[in-house]
Amino acid sequence: MKLLPKLLGVLVAAFIAAPLFIVVPMSFSTAPSLEFPPPGYWLGYYAAYFTDERWTQPTINSLIIAFGTMALTMLLVTPATFAVVRHRFFGRGLANLMLTMPMAMPHIVLAIGYYSYLGDLRLTQTHLGVIIAHTALSVPVAFLILSANLKGFDRNLERAAMSLGATPLRTFWHVTLPVLRPGFAISALFAFIQSFDETVVAIFISGRESETLPRKMFESIRMQADPVISVVSTLLFAAVALVILAPVVWKAVRKRPNRDCARGGTPAAKDAAPQDVNPCAPSRVQLEA
Amino acid sequence: MRDPYLQVSGLTKSYGSVQALGGVSLDVEKGEFVTFLGPSGSGKTTTLMIIAGFENATSGSVRVGGRSLSNIPPHARNIGIVFQNYALFPHKTALQNIMFPLDMRGVPAAEAERKARAMLDLVGLSGYGDRWPKDMSGGQQQRIALARALVFEPSLLLLDEPLGALDKNLREQMQIEIKRIQKSLGVTTIFVTHDQSEAMTMSDRIAVFEKGRIDQIGTPQEVYRTPSTPFVARFIGDSNLLPGTVLDPDQGLVRTEHLGLMRLPSRLAAAAGAPVTLMLRPESIHLAGLAAGVSEDAPNRADISVHTVVPYGDSTLLIGRAGGADLRIRLRGPEADGIGSGAALSVLWPASAIHAIPAV
Repeated sequence: MKLLPKLLGVLVAAFIAAPLFIVVPMSFSTAPSLEFPPPGYWLGYYAAYFTDERWTQPTINSLIIAFGTMALTMLLVTPATFAVVRHRFFGRGLANLMLTMPMAMPHIVLAIGYYSYLGDLRLTQTHLGVIIAHTALSVPVAFLILSANLKGFDRNLERAAMSLGATPLRTFWHVTLPVLRPGFAISALFAFIQSFDETVVAIFISGRESETLPRKMFESIRMQADPVISVVSTLLFAAVALVILAPVVWKAVRKRPNRDCARGGTPAAKDAAPQDVNPCAPSRVQLEA
Repeated sequence: MRDPYLQVSGLTKSYGSVQALGGVSLDVEKGEFVTFLGPSGSGKTTTLMIIAGFENATSGSVRVGGRSLSNIPPHARNIGIVFQNYALFPHKTALQNIMFPLDMRGVPAAEAERKARAMLDLVGLSGYGDRWPKDMSGGQQQRIALARALVFEPSLLLLDEPLGALDKNLREQMQIEIKRIQKSLGVTTIFVTHDQSEAMTMSDRIAVFEKGRIDQIGTPQEVYRTPSTPFVARFIGDSNLLPGTVLDPDQGLVRTEHLGLMRLPSRLAAAAGAPVTLMLRPESIHLAGLAAGVSEDAPNRADISVHTVVPYGDSTLLIGRAGGADLRIRLRGPEADGIGSGAALSVLWPASAIHAIPAV
C-alpha cells in the first residue's frame, strides 16, 4: 500500500547520501591516503587544509573567481533578460538561443576554445581569464532562472505603482526589484556555484597563478590520493547545507514572535508605539531605550 | 456651457492593421459612476488603459477638469486604479500598500499613516493593517486595493473588472460596498465589466461597448428599456428581437416576419416600408386571461407551443415556437405552475412593452 513508496523514498535518499557516509568519516581519518574504513580518527588533515598554502591559495582563488563570475554574470544577464522577456525586437529569437547555447556545448570543447582565445589575449593563468570563461558558462543558467522569474512577474504591479505616483525608476526600485529579489538571489547563487564547482575549463586555463580548488583537488587525487580531499568535500557539503538550511531556520525563528503581533498590531511608527496597547510594542520600546 | 469633468473624444487605437478602438467619445460629470459594459475585445479595457496612460491612443484626446492628459505620464496623472487581480505589492503589508501613494508624494510618515488608517476604517478593515496580502482573502485584498487607489484623493477612479475573481455572494456584497465608498467620497468613477447585472445595479450611466465603439450611453433604465441597437438589447437582459417592416408609421403599425401585425404605443419616426427590429422583453409577455389591464383584442398577441421550461425559482422561463420563431416568456412565481413542455398557450403583451429599434 503506502509502505512501498515510502521504502522507495528511503532507499533513494540513502543512495544519494551514501557517499557522505564514506567521505565524512574519511576526512577525520589517520590514514596516509584515502582509505575506508578509517584505521583511526584525528583532525590532522583539517589542520593541514587550513594551514597549507597549497590548499588555502586555491580556496582563495576559487572564491575570488566565483564572486567575480557572479558579479559579471548578473551585470550581463539582468539587462539581457529584461530585454528578451519584455521587448519584441528583431533578432530576439537569436539572442535567446545564444544566451542558452553554452549549456549545450561540452565543457571540454569550450575549454579548448577558451585556451587558444584567451591565450591570444594573454589572459590564461589569470583570475580575469577564468572569470570571463566561467561567466560564459554561468550566463545560461542565470538567464534561465531570471527569465522564468520575470515571465511570472505580474506587470500590473508596475502599472499599479505608476498609477499610484511612482516614476519608472522608483517603480523598479520599490516594486520590481524587491518582488524579484528571490529570483535574483537564486540566479546569482547558481552562477557562483557553477563557477566554484567548475573543473574542466579551470584545468585548461587557470594555471599556477589562479589555480582553483577543483583543479587542485583533481591534481592531488591524481598524484597522491591526499585525504585533504575528503576534508574539502566535507567542508563544501557543510557550506551548501548551511546556505540551504539558513533561510529555513531564519524563517522559523522570525515567524514566532511576528505571528502574535500580526493581529491588530501597529507598524514601526515610533510616535505611535508608546500609547499603544500592543503586546509587541513594549519590546520595541525597550530596544530603543 | 460648462465643460464636462472627464471628456473623452474620438479615441482610436490600432494595432497594426487591427483596429481596437474606432472612435470612442463620452463625457462624464464630476462624481458620476459610469460603467463600461461589453464583451471581451469590445474596447472597454483599452479605453480605460488609454485614460490611465498605459496605452497611447492612435488619435483622439482625454481631458480631465479641462486639462489634456496627452503628454502626462501615468505617474503624474493622479488617477487611482483597481485591477482585477488586485495587484497588491506582496512585499508590503496592507498598511504599507495603502501608504505607498502617499510616500511617493512625499507626505510625512505620520500623516501618511493617519490617512492610510482612516482608509482602512472606511473599507472596514481597521485591524488588518499589518497583514500581508497573501494572508488575506480575495475580498479583503480587493478592499485594500480600493483603499490604496483612493487614499491620495485621485481625480478619477478606474476599476478594471475588479469583481471578476470573486465568488457570487462576495461579488454582490462588494458591489454595494464599492458603491457606498464611491458615494461617500464623491469620486468620479469608471467601472469596467462584462457583467450586465453588475452594470445595472451600480451605475449612474452605462456605456455599452461593441467592436471598439460605444453603441449607447444612458442610465440603466434607458439602456434596458430603450436599447438603441439590437446588440444592446441582446447584451443587457433577456429579449425577443422581432424583425419586421413599417406598415403605417403614423398609426405605429409594424408587420413582423414571424408574429404578424404589431401595434406600437406611438408613431414611428420611419417611413412606411422601412425595416425595423422590435424588442419585447420576456417579462412583459403575459398569459391571455391573466393579464390585468391588457386589452384582449389588441393585435399584440400570439399562440405558442412551449418546448422548453426553465425554472429559476422566483420566475420561470418558457421558450415556445410561434410563427416559425422562438419566443421567450418569463412568468413570475406560480403563474407557470402546471405548464410543461408541449403546452399550447395564448399570450399577449401591452403596446407599451414594445420598443422599436431602427435598422442601421
